Amino acid sequence: MEDRMLKFIAALRAGGVRISLAESADAFQAVDHMGVQERELFRLSLRTTLVKDANSLPIFDELFPLFFDSGDQPPMMDITEDMSPEEAQMLAQALRMFSEQLRRMMEKLLRGEQLSQQELEQLGQMVGLNRMNDMRYREWMARRMMRALRFDEVREALRELMQLLAQMGMSKERLEQMRQLIQANQQAIQEQLSQFAGQRIAENMSEERPDQGIDELLDRPFGALSDRDMDRLRKEVSRLANRLRSRIALRQKRAKSGQLDAKATLRANLKHGGVPMEIKHRDHRLKPKLVVICDISTSMRHCSELMLSLVYALQDLVTKTHAFAFIDHLEYITPDFVGQEAKDAISQVLVRMPPGSYNTDLGYSLDNFARNYLDTLDSRTTFIMVGDARNNYHDPRLDLFSMMARRCRRTIWLNPEPPMLWGTGDSDMLEYARYCDDVIVAATLGELTQAIDHLLTAS
Amino acid sequence: MTNNRVYTSPRAVKEALGEQQYIASDEIATTVYLCQQLGKPLLTEGPAGVGKTELAKAIAGATGRELIRLQCYEGLDETKALYEWEYAKQLLYTQLLRDKLQETLANTHSLAEAADRLAAEEDVFFSMRFLLQRPLLKAILSEKPTVLLIDEIDRADAEFEAFLLEVLSDFQVSVPELGTLAAVHRPLVVLTSNNTRELSEALKRRCLYLFIGYPSLEQELAVVRLKVPELSPKLARQAVELVQRLRDLDLRKSPSISETLDWARSLVALNAKQLDEETLETTLNVLLKHESDLQKVRRRMQVSSRGVDIEDDDLSQFRWRD
Repeated sequence: MEDRMLKFIAALRAGGVRISLAESADAFQAVDHMGVQERELFRLSLRTTLVKDANSLPIFDELFPLFFDSGDQPPMMDITEDMSPEEAQMLAQALRMFSEQLRRMMEKLLRGEQLSQQELEQLGQMVGLNRMNDMRYREWMARRMMRALRFDEVREALRELMQLLAQMGMSKERLEQMRQLIQANQQAIQEQLSQFAGQRIAENMSEERPDQGIDELLDRPFGALSDRDMDRLRKEVSRLANRLRSRIALRQKRAKSGQLDAKATLRANLKHGGVPMEIKHRDHRLKPKLVVICDISTSMRHCSELMLSLVYALQDLVTKTHAFAFIDHLEYITPDFVGQEAKDAISQVLVRMPPGSYNTDLGYSLDNFARNYLDTLDSRTTFIMVGDARNNYHDPRLDLFSMMARRCRRTIWLNPEPPMLWGTGDSDMLEYARYCDDVIVAATLGELTQAIDHLLTAS
Repeated sequence: MTNNRVYTSPRAVKEALGEQQYIASDEIATTVYLCQQLGKPLLTEGPAGVGKTELAKAIAGATGRELIRLQCYEGLDETKALYEWEYAKQLLYTQLLRDKLQETLANTHSLAEAADRLAAEEDVFFSMRFLLQRPLLKAILSEKPTVLLIDEIDRADAEFEAFLLEVLSDFQVSVPELGTLAAVHRPLVVLTSNNTRELSEALKRRCLYLFIGYPSLEQELAVVRLKVPELSPKLARQAVELVQRLRDLDLRKSPSISETLDWARSLVALNAKQLDEETLETTLNVLLKHESDLQKVRRRMQVSSRGVDIEDDDLSQFRWRD
C-alpha cells in the first residue's frame, strides 16, 4: 500500500499539485491513524493532507479511483445464456458469414467477455499509450483504442447480423432485446478502455521524474519552450510573484517608519501627560502607479502569455495598475483580471484578441491610448511597455510616445528580442529607446523577473 | 471533565458537532478528527457564508474549550495580534508609586547607585501585570485548552502570515523583556480564508486543508430544518430549492447558507404560507445583496401555481460546463 501511495503522490505531482515532503509525511501519518479499510476515510485522509488548494481538488478526485479502486470492471452480460437451442443455432449460423476477426469481436460482445489484460496491453502499445502522461489525453486514447479494435466495422457487422437473424426468423422483441444488450456491452467495453487508459496514464505520470532543472528553464528563450515547459513556467511565475509581493510589502512597511510626525505624536501622547511614549511617524507608504502596455501580436505570442501572467501578478502587487494589450488596436484588460484566476483571465484576453499575420500596429495603438487613457499617466506613474517594437513599417508615432514618456515618472521598455536585432527590418526599437529611462532585454523568465525586481526596487 | 475532550473517531466528532447544531459532512468530521489526532492547524477555505467560522465555534463548543478569535485585516501586526505593553498604566503606576520610589532611592549617594536600584525594580514594570495580551498570546498562555480561530487570514498581509508561521509551529512567543513564553496547552487552531489572495505554500504546508463548498440540497435542507424549525417542511424545501437554483446563475454574489437561514427566518416572521410573487418581491433582497443581481433574478423568475421557476442563464451554464 505504501508503494501505491508513493506512486499516487508522484502522479499528483506530475498532474501539477504541489506536494512537499512534509505533506506526504502527514498523509502517511494520517493513514496510520485512520487505517485503509474504510475507503472513504482513507480517501478523505489523503485529500486533506495532500491537497491544499481548491483548484487541485479535481485532479485528486480524478486520480484517486485510478490508483485505489480495486479495478471494478464495468459489468457485461452474456446474451447467449438464455437463448433457446434453435436461436443459438441461428446465431451460430449467422455468425459464420463474417470474417474470422470480426466474428471474434462480435462473439465477445455477445458473450459479454471483457478484453483480457493482454489484449489491453497490445492495444495500448498500438496507440502509443505508454508515452502519454497527461490526463487530458485519456478519452482520446480510449477512442484510438476503439478504432484499433475496428469498432466501427464491428458495429456495422452487428447491424448486418441483426438483419440476417431477422431473415432467419428470430422474433422481433428478441432482436430488440439483443440489440439493447449488445449496446450495453459496447458501452461497457468503452468504459473498460477508458479506465485502462486512465490507469496507464496515471502510472506514467507517477513514473515521471519530478520537475527538475527549473533553473535551466528560466534561462531558455521563450521561443524554445514546449507546452509542458510553459506550464511549469507559469507556476514559476506565480511563485516569483508571491516572492516579489512579500518583498514589496516589507519595503512598504519599512518606508512607513520614516519621518517623525510631531503633531500626531503630541496628540497621541496627551493621555500620558505629554510624555512621548508612542512615537508617530509620517505615513510614508509608497503608492506607485503602473501602466503596462503589452504586445500580444504574432511575433510576441510565444511569450505574451507569460508576460500577461506577470502583468497579472503586478496588478496584484500594485493596486493602481492599469493594463492594456494591443495588436492592431489597444484594449483595456484590467477588468479581465479582476476576480479571475490568472490562467482564465489570460486565456480570455488571448481568445478575445486573436492574432493575425502582420497586423501589429503599435503607432495606432498608441494613438488609441492617447485618445482614451492619457489620464492614467501622471507624475507618479511608472509606464512599462512590453513588446518587440516591430511595427510592420507603420508610423511609430514617436511624437505620442515621447509625450507619454514625458508625462510619467519613469518609462521602461521590456523587449524579448536580443539587442543585435533592434533596428533591423521593421523594428523601431532604437527610436523608441531614446525616450525610455530603461530598456531591458528579457528573453527568458530569469531575466524577466530580474527586470521586474529591479524595476520595483527602483521605483 | 468536559475540558479538553478527545474524540476517538470521525463519527464521534460528527455527533459532537451535531450536538452543537452544526451539521458536518463526513469530510468535515474526518478532517477535524485528523487535526486533533495529528495536532495540526486546520485551514478551511470556501465561499463566504458556508459555515467556516461556525465550524470553529462548533468545535469550541463540542470540546468544551474557550474560543479565542483573531479577526484579520489589512495592516494587522504583532502588537494587535500578540501583545503590547500598557504604557499608560505603567506611567500611571510610576506616578502613583512615586513615594515608594523616593523611599527606595532615598539613601543612595550617587546617581549610578540610584540607577542601579531602579534597574533592580524595573522588572515590576515589565511583568505580566503590564502586558496587554492580544488573542494569540491569550491562546498560548491560557490555563485551559482553547480553540484559536484566525478568521479571514487572506485579508492579513503576507508578512503577518510569515510571522504567524513561527507561532503556529512552535506555539511559543518571545517577549524580549520577559523571555520565551511557551504554550501551556496547545490550542486547536482553525484558520479561515475566502481565497481573496493566494496563501503562502509554507502556511498551507503546516495545515490540514478543508474546502467547504455550497451544500447539497439535502444538506442545506437539514441545516434549515435544524436552525429554523418553525418553517413548514414544504416551504423549507421550496425555499432551499430556489436558493440552489440561484447559485447556478451567474450572480455577483451567490446566496450562502447564512443568507438562506436569514431568508427562512424572514419567511417565518412574515408568516408566509407559500412562495408567491408578493412574498418573493418583498424578501428577495434578504438573499441577494446587489441591485444588479436582484434585477437579473426578477427578470428571469416566473412564479406560477406550481412554484417558482428560473430561466436558465445561458452564459453561466456554458461556463459551468466548461
